[in-house]
Amino acid sequence: MGNKQTIFTAQQLDAYQDCTYFTRKEILRLFYRYRDLAPQLVPLDYTNHPDVKLPYELIGSMPELKDNPFRQRIAEVFSEDGEGNMTLDDFLDMFSVLSEMAPRDLKAYYAFKIYDFNNDDFICKSDLEKTLNKLTRNELTEDEVRMVCEKVIDEADLDNDGRLSLEDFQHMIVRAPDFLSTFHIRI
Amino acid sequence: MTSYSNGGFFNHAYHDSETLEMDRRHSSKTHHTNPYASHDPASWGESSEFPGQTHGYDAVGRAPGGGWQGESWRGRESLPTRPDSTRQHDRNHSTFRTDRDSQYGRAPPYQLPSSVSGNMTMRWRRIAVRRMSMFPDADPAHVAFTEDAIKNEMENEEQDLVKELVAMSTRDRIRTIRDLLMSFEEKKHIRRQVEALKSSYKSRQFTRLADFSENVSLSVRRAGYTIKSTRQTLELWQGIMKEIGGKFGSSVLSYFVFLKWLLMFNIFSFLVNFGFITIPLLVHDPSPNIPQNVSFRGLELLSGAGYFTYTVMYYGGYSNETLEGLVEYNMQLAYFFTIAVYMVLCGIALIFSMASSFRQNYVVAESVSNSAWQLLCSWDFSVTNDKAVRQRRNNLSVQLKESLSEKAQRELPTRSEKLKHFGIHFGSWILSTGLTVGCGASIYYLCRYEQQRATDTENWSLSQEAETLLVPFVVSLMNLVIPLFYSLFNKFEHYSSQRTQIYALVVRNVFLRMVILAVLCYYWMNVVAEKFSCWESVVGQALYRLVIFDFLFLMLGSFFGEFLSNVIGTRLLLSLGIPEFDVARNVLELIYAQTLAWIGIYFSPLLPAIQILKLFLLFYLKKVSLTQNCQPPRRSGRAAQMQTIFIFLLFFPFFVGALSMVAYTAWTLNPSEQCGPFRGFNNTFSVVGVWMAELEEISSSQWAVWIYQNVIRSEIFYFLGTLIIIVIIYIFWHVTKGRQELIRLLRQQIINEGKDKSFLLEKLHDLQKSNLSRNPKQKKQKEHTKRHLDDRSSSSHSSSNAMVQALLARQQFEGEERRNAGGVPVPSDISTSSAVMQAMVARQRAEREQDDLYHMPDEYSSPDSALAQAFAARQRAKAQESDEDNGSSAVMQAMQARQRAEADRGLDTGDLPFPVSNVMIQVMQARQRAEEEDRIQWVPAPSQNTAPPGSSALIQAMLARREAQNEYDDGY
Repeated sequence: MGNKQTIFTAQQLDAYQDCTYFTRKEILRLFYRYRDLAPQLVPLDYTNHPDVKLPYELIGSMPELKDNPFRQRIAEVFSEDGEGNMTLDDFLDMFSVLSEMAPRDLKAYYAFKIYDFNNDDFICKSDLEKTLNKLTRNELTEDEVRMVCEKVIDEADLDNDGRLSLEDFQHMIVRAPDFLSTFHIRI
Repeated sequence: MTSYSNGGFFNHAYHDSETLEMDRRHSSKTHHTNPYASHDPASWGESSEFPGQTHGYDAVGRAPGGGWQGESWRGRESLPTRPDSTRQHDRNHSTFRTDRDSQYGRAPPYQLPSSVSGNMTMRWRRIAVRRMSMFPDADPAHVAFTEDAIKNEMENEEQDLVKELVAMSTRDRIRTIRDLLMSFEEKKHIRRQVEALKSSYKSRQFTRLADFSENVSLSVRRAGYTIKSTRQTLELWQGIMKEIGGKFGSSVLSYFVFLKWLLMFNIFSFLVNFGFITIPLLVHDPSPNIPQNVSFRGLELLSGAGYFTYTVMYYGGYSNETLEGLVEYNMQLAYFFTIAVYMVLCGIALIFSMASSFRQNYVVAESVSNSAWQLLCSWDFSVTNDKAVRQRRNNLSVQLKESLSEKAQRELPTRSEKLKHFGIHFGSWILSTGLTVGCGASIYYLCRYEQQRATDTENWSLSQEAETLLVPFVVSLMNLVIPLFYSLFNKFEHYSSQRTQIYALVVRNVFLRMVILAVLCYYWMNVVAEKFSCWESVVGQALYRLVIFDFLFLMLGSFFGEFLSNVIGTRLLLSLGIPEFDVARNVLELIYAQTLAWIGIYFSPLLPAIQILKLFLLFYLKKVSLTQNCQPPRRSGRAAQMQTIFIFLLFFPFFVGALSMVAYTAWTLNPSEQCGPFRGFNNTFSVVGVWMAELEEISSSQWAVWIYQNVIRSEIFYFLGTLIIIVIIYIFWHVTKGRQELIRLLRQQIINEGKDKSFLLEKLHDLQKSNLSRNPKQKKQKEHTKRHLDDRSSSSHSSSNAMVQALLARQQFEGEERRNAGGVPVPSDISTSSAVMQAMVARQRAEREQDDLYHMPDEYSSPDSALAQAFAARQRAKAQESDEDNGSSAVMQAMQARQRAEADRGLDTGDLPFPVSNVMIQVMQARQRAEEEDRIQWVPAPSQNTAPPGSSALIQAMLARREAQNEYDDGY
C-alpha cells in the first residue's frame, strides 16, 4: 500500500476510519471518486490538509446523485457552508451517513434536514409541498398538493402543532422499517 | 416557573452579550451544525403564527453588539454535545427562535468562526435549565450567570464527554463518536480531544510501556480495519447489487440479498459436511469402490443415479469403520454429529435472524400512516437510473392521486356486493385447495406406479434410469404451473388491500409446496424404506433429481414468466405491458429449493455443493432476466416486512418440516443393512448409545455418560426444559403487553400536550386582541411602572425574570384564590395539594411584599427584590383593575401585569404581542419539560410542598393550564 500512504498520513486515515463508517479502502475509493470530479483541483497529497472545495455543480453531477430529486438538498445539508460546496470531509461524511452501516437515528436526523427546505427545523407545509413537487414533478394540481400535505401532517403530527418536528419525523421513521434500506446510497 | 433561559432573552445585559451574538450566528447558519443548535427553535415556532411579530427580536438581534469578536473564546473549544442520553431532554428546553427574516435574507451579518457556535448557546441554555430545575424557587439573581460561569460550565461539559469517551473501551468509543449527531469536523475535534487526554494519561505512566501498549492497540485496530476491508473485497456481487438497486429499487434488491444469504448458508453447510465427513473418508480411501460394470454415462448428471450411487455423494458411499490414520476417526459418530450440529446451527441462525428482523420490522412498526410514509419515507435514495427515477415519480403521483380519490369516494359495499366478494373468495380458496390436494394425490399415485416398476437392482438400464426422471419432472412442472393458476385467481378476487392479496397468494403457494413435499416424504419413509436395500441412497438420488429439475424449471420459469410475457406485453398485447419482477413468487421458489437441500442433507451430504452451484447460476440468470425483461415495480411495497415473512416461512413450515423429517428418520427408521455408516443398527441414534457404552470404560469421561443417562435420555429433563421455556415466554409476553400499554399512554400524552398547546395559544391570541384595544388606558400606568422599575433594572439583570415570576406567581395565586372561593371545581390532580401550598406561600409573600412596596418602593435591596416587585406590579394591576371595574377575568389581570412588567423592561421596539406569547410559551415549555422528566422517572408526582424540581415545574404548568381552562369555562 505504499503509494496510498502518500495521500493521507496514517493518522489521517485513522481519524477518517474512526469518524465514518468506512474502511480505509472505501475511504481511498471515495477519495478517488472525489478527485475524479475535478482532477485539476484536488491534489493527490492530502497530508497537509489542503483547503479544497468542489462546487455543487460537480458534486451534483455524480452518477449516484445526478438523478436524485433531492441532490441539491443533500449537498446543502452535508456541506459546511450550506451551499452545496463540499470539502473531502463533507463528502465522506455524506456517504458515511448514507451508507449501510449508519444507525437509524443518524439517518433520520439527516433525512429530516433534507426535507426541511427552509431550515426552520420543522417540516412545515411549504416544505412538504416542495418535497411533493420534487417527487412528482409538479404533476399534481394545487388542490391535490394541498390535500396531500394536509393528510401527511394530519397523520404524522402527533403534537398537533401543524407541522412535523424532528420527534414526529423520527417517530414515523421508527415505524417505517424500509427507511433504513431506502435512505442508502451505494458507492 | 419557566426556564431561566428566558433570562438571556429579556435581559438587557444579555442582549449585548455574546450569548445573543451566538444566537444570531446560529440563525444565520442553520445548515450543518450540531443537532442541538438546530433543535433550538423547537418550542418557539408558535411565534411564527403571529406574523410580523418576530421582527422585534430581530431588531434587537441585529443591533451592533457585544464583545464576541474581542473574545478569544472560540467556538471550536466548546465541546458541543454528548450522545443520546441528554438529547431528548434538551429539545424542548431550548428557547430561541431562529428568526425567519434572517434566514431568508441570505446574507448573514457575521462571519461564522465555526459551525459549533450554535452549540454553545444550546449548552448554555441547558445549563441554565438545569440550574433552574435545581432551584425551582430560586431568586432571580441566581440566573444572572456571568459569561465566565457559562464558559466554565461548557468546558466542564466538554471535559465530561471527553472523559466519558476516554473511559470507554476503544471499540465503544469509536462507535459512540461515529454515532454522535454532528458533522464530521466536530467528530474529528472530539476525537482529537479524546486522544490528547488519553496520551496525557499515558504519559504519566511509564512512558515506554505506555508507548508500547499504545502502539499495540493502534496496530490491532489497524489490523481490524484491514480485515474488514479484505472482507469487503470478498463480498460477492457488490457491483451487480448496486446496479440492480439503482435500477429497480430496494424491494427487488431484497430478493437478491435473500439469494445471497442462502448462498452463504449453503457454503457454510458444504464446508461443514465436506470437512467433517467427506475429507476424512477421502484421505483414508481416495478411490470410490465402484463395481466394474458401472461406468459414467452422462445421464447421471440429471438422474443422480448410476455411477454417482457409489460415490461419496450419497449416504451409501460412506463406511461404518473407524478410520485409522494419524488419529482414530469414527465415521459413524462423525456423520451423526455433523448432521445434527449442522441442523441445530441452522435452526439457531434462522431463529436469530428471524427475531432481529421481526423486532426491527414488526414490533415497532405498526399502523404506519400512509401518505406521510409515501411522501417522506418511500423515496428510494439508492435509485440512480434516470428512467427508473422518472417511472418512480409517475408511480408515486398516481398512487397519491389514488389515495386521495379513495378517500373522497370510499363507500360501503352493498350486501349483494359483499356476498359476491365472499363468494368469489370462497370459490377461489376451494379451487386452489382442491388443486393442491389433487397435486398431492397425483404425485402419490405416480410414485406408487413408479415404485411398482422399479427394481432393486444394482445397475439400471438407461431407459429405467430415465424413467426415474418422471416424478421430479411432474413435481417441478406442478410447481411452475399451479402458481400461475393462483395468480389468475388472484386477478378475479378483488382484495381490498394489496397486502392481503399478496398474503393470500403466498399462503396458497406455501400450502401447495408443503403438500407436495409432505407426500414425497411420506412415500420415501414408508415405501422406499421398506423396498430398497440401500434406501437412503435412493432417497438421496430422488432429492438430487428434484434439486436439478427445480433448477431447470426455474430457468424455464424465468423464460416463460418474464421473457415471454415481456414479448407478449411489448409486441402482442400492449395492454399487459412490461412485466414486473414478482418478488414473492421468486422468493418462494428459493425457499422451496432450500428446503430440498435441507431434507437431503442426511441422505446426500454433498447436496449443498449442488445447491451452491444452482444458486450461483440462478443469481446471474435472474439478473439478466430482470434487466432484460422487467420493469421496476409500480408499487413500492413494504419490502422489509415481506422479508421478515419470508424468513419466517423459511423457518416455520419449511425448516421445521425438514428437521422433523430428518429427526424422524434418525430416530425410528431402520438404516439399510448393506450400506452406509449406520448399517447394523436399529436406528441412527443408537450410535450414540454404543459410543456411550464404550465411554463408560474410560473413567475420565464419566461425566459425558452421566449427561447422556440423566439428561438426554430422561423425560424429566425435557419436561423441565419445556416448562422453563414456557414460563419465560409468558413473562416476555407480559412485558411486551405492558410496554405496548406504556407506548399507548405516552402517545396519548403527547397528543394531549399538543392539544393543550394549541388551546393555550388560541386563548392567548384572543386575549391579546382584546387587550390591545385597551392599551391606551394603561399607558399611564405603564409609564409609571417603567420608571419605577428602571431604577432597579439598571443595576440588576433580572427584570425580565421578575416578569416571568410575576406571571407564575400570579398563576399560583389565582389557582389558590379559585380554590378558596370554591366557585370553580378544581379537577382532582396529583399535584393539587402541593400547588395549593405553593400558592399559599406565594400569596403570603406577595402580600408581605405589597406592604413593603407601597411604603418604600425605591429602596429595594433584598435578594428577591425582583420577584417582590413583580408581585407588587401584579397587585397594583389588580387594584387598578378593580378601580376600572371592568370585571375582567383573572387571565386579563395576568396579561396586564405582564404587560406592565414588559413595559418596565423597556423593550426597545415596543412590540407587545411577541413577548406575551413568549411567556405563555415558556409556561408551556415548563410544563412539557416537567412532564417529560416525570415520564422519565416514571413516578407519580409527590404531593408535598418539597416536590422535586420536575414535579414543581409540572405543578406550575398544570396550574397554568387549569386556570386557562377555568377561564375558558367562565367565558362561556
